[in-house]
Amino acid sequence: MPDELDFECLVSRYYSSLYQFAFSLSRTDTEASDLTQQTFYVWAIKGHQLRDVSKVKTWLFTTLHREFLEKHRRQTRFPHFELNQIDSELPSISPPMVDQLDSRTVLQALARVDASYQAPLALFYLEDHSYKEIAEILEIPLGTVKSRLSRGIAQLQEILMCPHVSPAALKREQHG
Amino acid sequence: MDSQQAKKVLTLFRPGYADEAKPEFEEALKQTKRDPELATWFNQHCAFQKATREQFRQIVVPGDLKDRILSQTRPRNIVLWRRPSLALAAAAAIVLLGALAAFWFRPGGSDNLTAYRNRMVRSAMREYRMNLLTNDLNEIRRFLKENQAHGDYVLPKPLEKLPGTGCAILSWQGKRVSLVCFELDPRNDLLLFITDRKTVSNAPPAGKPQFAPVGKLMTASWTAADKVYVLAGLGDQKSLQQYLK
Repeated sequence: MPDELDFECLVSRYYSSLYQFAFSLSRTDTEASDLTQQTFYVWAIKGHQLRDVSKVKTWLFTTLHREFLEKHRRQTRFPHFELNQIDSELPSISPPMVDQLDSRTVLQALARVDASYQAPLALFYLEDHSYKEIAEILEIPLGTVKSRLSRGIAQLQEILMCPHVSPAALKREQHG
Repeated sequence: MDSQQAKKVLTLFRPGYADEAKPEFEEALKQTKRDPELATWFNQHCAFQKATREQFRQIVVPGDLKDRILSQTRPRNIVLWRRPSLALAAAAAIVLLGALAAFWFRPGGSDNLTAYRNRMVRSAMREYRMNLLTNDLNEIRRFLKENQAHGDYVLPKPLEKLPGTGCAILSWQGKRVSLVCFELDPRNDLLLFITDRKTVSNAPPAGKPQFAPVGKLMTASWTAADKVYVLAGLGDQKSLQQYLK
């Protein structure tokens, strides 16, 4: 079925968003470019195994994420929190802080967020994927996506408001 | 639902993403109408979400990335059987295989050059699916090395100048064989099989290629360093010799 998809069209349609996702995770142009290229390279080899053409986008993002994890050899099993377990006080956001946001600052803050929240946050903000799509891409349950997003957004806001506080301190604060 | 619960639910609210219509946010949004403090927080939260999303989307994509992807990773085809012309070729290959079966399975040593050559050519004709599809010979070499196949081969100069079409990793007597494919024209490829010298019992002497037909293909076999090479393609001995100089 994928042979019916024109490779150039596929690249044109998804390479930018894949690169932005890769850059959000890796924060280097070289690695983001490599991950994007590698994703299409894997498509060239294995794309024919995909039966449902409507899943191409999810497949590409999943592949990129797997390649990223593979590259960084993350063996850690990320903690699983349900949404109703999150009981921390969400920070207040000041209008001046919102006005001062720029891409570099946001990405630097994302880098300080707990590793397991980074990919859900990037997908949440970049492509406006639905929660179900994010769950499929990251191969985790829907409830876990929501809990990671809630915690991730809270951490991101805290870091942007208090850039000198360590992520560990933020985590301690979040977990009560 | 109290304001604290509403706040937790609304953390995941994405302004401009049709979240307003989702039932999971309905009750929490109602609570913002009742609690001015929550409403203030919610407005600030939406502003934060919009600004953050905007910053993520401003990540600059390198201008030449698309061209790099297309030039380095362009599959000629993923499943070659689905091309009508290749389906015909496949049908022809099956007929050819039947005709050659007696020759292939004749009695004799199972690890000698003839058996190896026939088996490899037959495999390539029967199963034309490659592990990597690319025109880039460096990519092919890298892929084979990374996958513990023979990637440290030495190509005759004329082959170095041809574009690749891809490669596959095959097996012979439990040993790995690298198959590198070169494109002569859109319908005609050259196939090069590479394996360890020790894998084939009567490998040809170094520097002196042996020619032998296998079905409609002509093959040239030679030894260089610790490798045995078998090149197969349409045509006669002369047409293959031009790629070995």
